[in-house]
Amino acid sequence: MEKILFNNLSFAFDKQPILENINAEFKSGKIHLLTGISGSGKSTLLKLIAGLLPKHGGKITTGTVSISTNGRIGMLFQDPLMQFALDTPRHELEFTLENCQVPSAEIDSRVKNALQFGKVEALANQLISTLSGGQQQRVALSVVMAMQPSILLLDEPFANVDEENRQLILAQLLKINQENHTTIIITDHDLHGYQKLNPLVWQLKNRQISTLSASQRRKVLQDNRSSIKTSLPPATSLSIINFTKLSLKQGDKTLLTPASLALLKNKATLLTGPNGIGKSTLLKAIAKLVKYQGTITYNNQNIQKISPRKYYQQLGLIFQHANDQFLNVTVGEELNLSRKNGHNPYFTSRQIQQALAELDLAGREEQVIYSLSGGQKKKLQILLMLMMGQEVLLFDEPFTGLDQDSLKTVLKLITASRKIYPQTLLIISHQLNGLDEFIDYHLEMNHQQLKYCGGNS
Amino acid sequence: MNPSLKLFLILFLSLELTFTNKLWVNIIVITVCLVLLIHYHFRWQQFCWLIFIPLFPAIAIFTTIVLFSPGHSLFYGLVLFSRLYMYVSLGTIFTFTTNPLALARSLEQNCHLPSKYAYGVLAALNLIPKMKQAVTTIYIAGQMRGVTLHWWSPTLYFKAILVALQWSDQLAQAMESHGFVEGQARTRTINIPITARDWVITSTLIILIQIIVIALP
Repeated sequence: MEKILFNNLSFAFDKQPILENINAEFKSGKIHLLTGISGSGKSTLLKLIAGLLPKHGGKITTGTVSISTNGRIGMLFQDPLMQFALDTPRHELEFTLENCQVPSAEIDSRVKNALQFGKVEALANQLISTLSGGQQQRVALSVVMAMQPSILLLDEPFANVDEENRQLILAQLLKINQENHTTIIITDHDLHGYQKLNPLVWQLKNRQISTLSASQRRKVLQDNRSSIKTSLPPATSLSIINFTKLSLKQGDKTLLTPASLALLKNKATLLTGPNGIGKSTLLKAIAKLVKYQGTITYNNQNIQKISPRKYYQQLGLIFQHANDQFLNVTVGEELNLSRKNGHNPYFTSRQIQQALAELDLAGREEQVIYSLSGGQKKKLQILLMLMMGQEVLLFDEPFTGLDQDSLKTVLKLITASRKIYPQTLLIISHQLNGLDEFIDYHLEMNHQQLKYCGGNS
Repeated sequence: MNPSLKLFLILFLSLELTFTNKLWVNIIVITVCLVLLIHYHFRWQQFCWLIFIPLFPAIAIFTTIVLFSPGHSLFYGLVLFSRLYMYVSLGTIFTFTTNPLALARSLEQNCHLPSKYAYGVLAALNLIPKMKQAVTTIYIAGQMRGVTLHWWSPTLYFKAILVALQWSDQLAQAMESHGFVEGQARTRTINIPITARDWVITSTLIILIQIIVIALP
């Protein structure tokens, strides 16, 4: 008999607890939907079921997780490109089926069926690195389905998949669940379209798991967006970055149809929208990291005509992955670099010491950055970039992995710094709690459109 | 031709000719390789690279032998000059005519190379495009902190190694989640046999080379 049972399980990464006292039994043959904000431990939970953790890092501090199944466990990862070992979808499928010891004579037909499942027949022989994120995700789904798993774990499977394919795949999932009694556990931020699967809904919050009652479930499946109150920007205000007929693409998928819009100088603008809609790509376009169509100007100058060295003195990007930001080995070396090259007048030596103390980073100068916890890295990263003192700072999910207290401290620090040295901020965040006071305007990206929301509308 | 046997043949020839001092063998091997490359539609830009890249080391060796060695031997200069081109030609013909996946499968099936090496290397090769993007990110992270990184900056390499370490772990997880278990038996999509024809070609070529080595200066 199949069983997925968590018994008082706690799990920690680098001494930072991710899950605490999880008690849950995922009933076999059902569809389970696991919700929760970014960094709440959804992926960790799936990887524990798949047996990838604690084998590849982290530690179970208490309790057990017991999985028993007669079949295979198939898992789809969040980062689409990071789950292929071979060059083309066909080769990856063949590799997988060989691993599963499928007899040679059956491999061809299983490959064909799997390609049909993910609607990727036409892409079978293309290089995976040339496919868009959504296409890669569909290929990954095909590969997992080819394994004919009895337990199917899907980590944000639709992050980059467009609406039409999302509906198709959801229907396919329902079909395999009904026909083969496959246990399916899905994590997702965006919950629309799941009603027809009639899933059991679980919520991960503050490292704990709970199952939702029928009425809560109805509510969650309808509306999961916390609202934030802002006003629309006034028509006559000073802008710093302007988009003129800006459009964005990823592979052959359109992320943004031509939009013209302004970002206001010295204001904090929040950017929200479903996963995979193109928010990070928009930030990367502004930071000249990806190609785009149309024009982006900075202080009325086309950004393509500003030399990189000059441009990045005026515009900083806080990367989604904190590790991307660091250049040195120890905390002290990083601080010295920002002290030397930075020009934010707020950060005098005294202020830096105070900020370090408040962020709980004081006395760690000798520590190797990569041994800091996720939250500490995030705090250090934000501090280092604030010290640099660019006119514009773009934040890509800066608050993931920060607890409520740390978040408050970080917001307080940014606010204090902006009083002395005003900066323009553009912030992508799924985490909206506590941002009400902090945010001036709110941009929403959805259905390939970008628009300000708020006011009385 | 069977990829593993081809690899063996190339390595065998290179090793044997390392211990000879014959000029004509080198020239014949280079010529045969070039003819084969033309047959397989090698592009002329690629030919230019093939000639250009070994040119400087080859000239350096040639002048060292001819001008500065005790005997000032033109013959040995030419032997070493042509030897370098022989190695490069052999390597080129191998990489140009062998599909990496076919080689991995052949090494796994014919030479019983553990599949973790065969597919591990293959997976690493497929990461190269992503590596390029990661390097761009490192450059920009530098510029945003007022540091201009150059290709010789140690920071660049330090960061690149960190990224690679992280990926190696993710790749291991990806392979595992696609059913890969170290040491476990796998089935085959395609059988890659070593045919009688492969053996005949290999042994004929080896014998032919021996005759040339003995017969020609």
